[in-house]
Amino acid sequence: MESVWRFLKSKQGITIIGFLVLVILVVVFYSISPNQTQAVLNSMIRHSTPLILGALCGVMCERSGIINIGIEGHMLLGAFMGYMVNVWTGSLVLAVAASMLTGSLMGLLLAYMSIKLKLDQVIGGTVINILALGLTGYFYTVGLTTSGKIMTFPLGPLADIPLIGPVLFNNGFITYAAIVLVFVLHFFLYRTPWGLRTRAIGEHPEAADTLGINVIRMRYMNVLIGGAIAGLAGGFLTLESVGSFERAMTNGRGFIALAVMIFGNWSPIGAWGAALLFGFATAMQTQLQFMGIDIPHQFVGMLPYVLTIVVVAGLVGRTHPPAAEGKVFEKE
Amino acid sequence: MFKKISVVFAFVMVLSLFLAACGQKNVDCTQEDVLCVGLVTDVGEVDDKSFNQSAWEGVQKAADELGAHVEYIETKDAKDYGTNIGLFAEKGYDVIVTVGFGLGDATREAAATHPDIDFIGVDQFQADTVANVAGLMFPEWKAGFQAGALAGMLTETKLLAGVYGTDLAPAVVAFAEGYEDGARYIDPAIEVITTYHPGGFASGFTDPEWGGATSKQAIEQGADVIFAAGGKTGNGGLIETANYPGVFCIGVDTDQWETVPEAHSCLVSSAMKLIVPGVFDLVKLSSEGAFPAGNYFGTVGLAPFHDFDSSISQEIKDKLAEIEAGLLDDTIKYEDFR
Amino acid sequence: MASEPETKKTDFWRALWRSIGVPLGAIVLALLIGAVILLISGANPLLAYSALFQGAFGGASQISRTLEKATPLIFNGLAISLAFKAGMFNIGAQGQLVFGAIIAAFIGFAVKGLPWFVHAPLALICGAIAGALYGSIPGMLKAFTGASEVITTIMLNYVALNMTDWLVGGPWQDKTTEILLPRTPEILETARLDQGRLITSGLIFVILSLYLALMVYLFVKSHKKIRMAGKTTREFFTANLGSLLVALIPVILVGLYLLDLLQVGFLIAVGGAFFIWWLLERTTLGFEIRTVGANSNAARYAGINVALIMILTMVISGLLAGLGGAVETTGVDGRFEPAFNVGLGFDGITISLLGKTHPLGNIPAAILIGSMKAGSNTMQFEAGVPKEIVDVVQALMLFFVAADMIVRYVLRIKGKEEKVSLTSGWGQH
Repeated sequence: MESVWRFLKSKQGITIIGFLVLVILVVVFYSISPNQTQAVLNSMIRHSTPLILGALCGVMCERSGIINIGIEGHMLLGAFMGYMVNVWTGSLVLAVAASMLTGSLMGLLLAYMSIKLKLDQVIGGTVINILALGLTGYFYTVGLTTSGKIMTFPLGPLADIPLIGPVLFNNGFITYAAIVLVFVLHFFLYRTPWGLRTRAIGEHPEAADTLGINVIRMRYMNVLIGGAIAGLAGGFLTLESVGSFERAMTNGRGFIALAVMIFGNWSPIGAWGAALLFGFATAMQTQLQFMGIDIPHQFVGMLPYVLTIVVVAGLVGRTHPPAAEGKVFEKE
Repeated sequence: MFKKISVVFAFVMVLSLFLAACGQKNVDCTQEDVLCVGLVTDVGEVDDKSFNQSAWEGVQKAADELGAHVEYIETKDAKDYGTNIGLFAEKGYDVIVTVGFGLGDATREAAATHPDIDFIGVDQFQADTVANVAGLMFPEWKAGFQAGALAGMLTETKLLAGVYGTDLAPAVVAFAEGYEDGARYIDPAIEVITTYHPGGFASGFTDPEWGGATSKQAIEQGADVIFAAGGKTGNGGLIETANYPGVFCIGVDTDQWETVPEAHSCLVSSAMKLIVPGVFDLVKLSSEGAFPAGNYFGTVGLAPFHDFDSSISQEIKDKLAEIEAGLLDDTIKYEDFR
Repeated sequence: MASEPETKKTDFWRALWRSIGVPLGAIVLALLIGAVILLISGANPLLAYSALFQGAFGGASQISRTLEKATPLIFNGLAISLAFKAGMFNIGAQGQLVFGAIIAAFIGFAVKGLPWFVHAPLALICGAIAGALYGSIPGMLKAFTGASEVITTIMLNYVALNMTDWLVGGPWQDKTTEILLPRTPEILETARLDQGRLITSGLIFVILSLYLALMVYLFVKSHKKIRMAGKTTREFFTANLGSLLVALIPVILVGLYLLDLLQVGFLIAVGGAFFIWWLLERTTLGFEIRTVGANSNAARYAGINVALIMILTMVISGLLAGLGGAVETTGVDGRFEPAFNVGLGFDGITISLLGKTHPLGNIPAAILIGSMKAGSNTMQFEAGVPKEIVDVVQALMLFFVAADMIVRYVLRIKGKEEKVSLTSGWGQH
């Protein structure tokens, strides 16, 4: 009895209880109004996708010791280049590749600034953010038309399961990729030698170095991969969800992704939970407006933000960033 | 290294000088016989597929038909309204068009210091008349009303949705209210679900992804006509709706058939503010010396149905014509619905 | 890096070049790359840049506008710099700024019947307090629950946005116009910062004279000392170049103010910068802030109340941002309109980084960015260049200022690199 109680009070216990309560709530709502419930959950997945992709970029970079506040910039440039390639070639595959490539190029720039030039990493990220805003604004011209966007792709019989099917298994390619990436990265980070090394260079690069890990090369590689993922987040916006580009269309999602990553305590699955919570709150604020409740919609609009603050302050509390984050690594 | 940089620098200089030689604009706006028209946008771009762009097209029409020299400045920071207007005024422009209610005060201030320049303020209500300011106003409520009526006749689920930019902009609220009233005018049982972007001016008009996600959320609950009014946010809603066969979307401000080709498969019409002819008419009146000071009301209306023309019954068209007439002679008016 | 030994005899001009060469070089390099981008896209860089310069410094009104734009940037840069010093990243300056701005506007239009020398300061103080209170929220959350200020400040920015949107569209809306616009009523004349210009000018003139007398006295005194030690006047000036330049700043400012090129707000901002510099360098609190920022664990061992310092830092940071908003409202805008304050707080991050988080470094950084903001309109008008090129150049400037080894290499400026380290990771406690 005692041990059950202790388990319930532990972090996993709270997570499991919370999860069960959520499932019960969803089922109850689904039985009352299936359409609304499904619409809200769909919206939640959609809102969370760019956030989780951005947050995964953050996880990749920060786990290996590089602070990345340039996620917004990666996303915006990735969105722009993906869109442009879609306009030029009409090939969505090339367009997705372009947005990922652009993201990783920005990652390379960040890595170069913070590893080679030993710039403060916050400055590096800020440079990328402003640069992306300026370049996309400068080179964007209107009147371009694309040959279309990535369509939803139901996953066979899975998509026919009530509620779960339409929500999880009837999405576009990038949304699937995002969900798969969460688990793949989580597995790699905690269960493979690569993950161990990555975490090592983020916690204690000097020790990792003495063990023969090439800290600099790993950092470059991880930031490049992270950049590609953030570029994919941009690609999600222009190639899958919206279908066209507008100046500054990321609208701060990169910064929210940053918050989501910290919220999830620098772990992919944790970040996904945070992104889903944020996506859910965003979908709910729209839903509450739909329902026409009689309070000013600005208060409803605060919902995602206030909820995040409450959860972060009340439940998550102290987060534990990688110890060597932001510090310049000098090889002896 | 230093040498290399100097070489690059010298190269840039030479090339710029070369460009400078052939890129000079030689228009003297202070001369009597040259008509110069300047346009100051609200915060945003002149190619925003929305009201800034329409106003600019109106000015360009003046260039084509009246031979005017035209130029624009895009405002990046709301504090620069006055400065941007001043740039034109100092060059001796004859007519300055300022777009958006935000520029109202700056326009009137500039008008006081430059009495010889005519100012056209799009969406700027004039509480009292200043001799050289014309506020180009549009009864957005009426445009929204027609859109709502059309939607009310098209819907099968009796559920309509409106996806809007921020409700801080009076025009957006007017469109939204009109849409609701128009739908209820057709059938009081119709339900209209309404959302405003929560981001205010910071992101309310520039968030297509929010517009798209919100439209989707509405469609999945059974809404089958989406009215998307809010700059790029609205455009996102239109493009999203195009994914759903059988669901209609209605654009705003201009005939969005031209500006958002991605939405052709759902875009049945647009609730238009005829800014282009409004601006052009005022410029023309100014050039003829018959500038109408005070509020100048432009026309609003529904855009053509384009590809949907054949699928919309004559009955609906007749009803819309009847409503348009009713709105014109004030038998249908705002006060009756409040 | 050059390996030759430092020569003993340092020339005045060389010292000057060393101190301002890097930032100057960074600006030139950034402009150069910007020029290449302009050329690629078929625009004329010379025309563009001369228009940019014209628009920023081309005349009295341009200069005054540049300084006007720099004012809120200084405040925000300071707010963010101070938080950096304590190892915190205050992304929430934007939220604190709008709160300060709207509260100042409220005091400005709602409180009636006060004389200007009470009303205007009251509006400023209330705005500053509003910002401080808003800044204390992430500070307390961090100190008591450990919630990362990066998350909470980002979220609080959006909350502030929604709150002010509601206020200007609801209870505090200007109801006097026929068509209701989202803004507060205009603040009363008595709450405007440019009130009582003559009297303040006179006051400032007296203070300036006293200041000058004091400076001359101090310099003559230390000069004498130096001469007695057997050094030349030239060496004296070279050695004291930094303090000489700093001593001149107030004189220049007051001159500009008297010439009507400057708002009171700018003076307050510069005063704030000096105050924060003093606070950080000369007080116990400043020492504790820097210790917490350098190593919070060591600070804890040393007996510093880390939680309290974190809260206090965020309070002062919020106070600065809020004061910036209040100055902007009472000095420039005259009322609160939501669209007027978009993005100012985020520019603060750039300013702070450009100034290497040094409180006084914020001033030139803010003037630089302010001038580009002010000039970009003219540039677009005269040269037809999209205003976004300014963002590109800004990013490059930030890059080159931070990556000073590149600039030093290109321009052959000797001297050691100054590494700035702003954060040692976030979420530390």
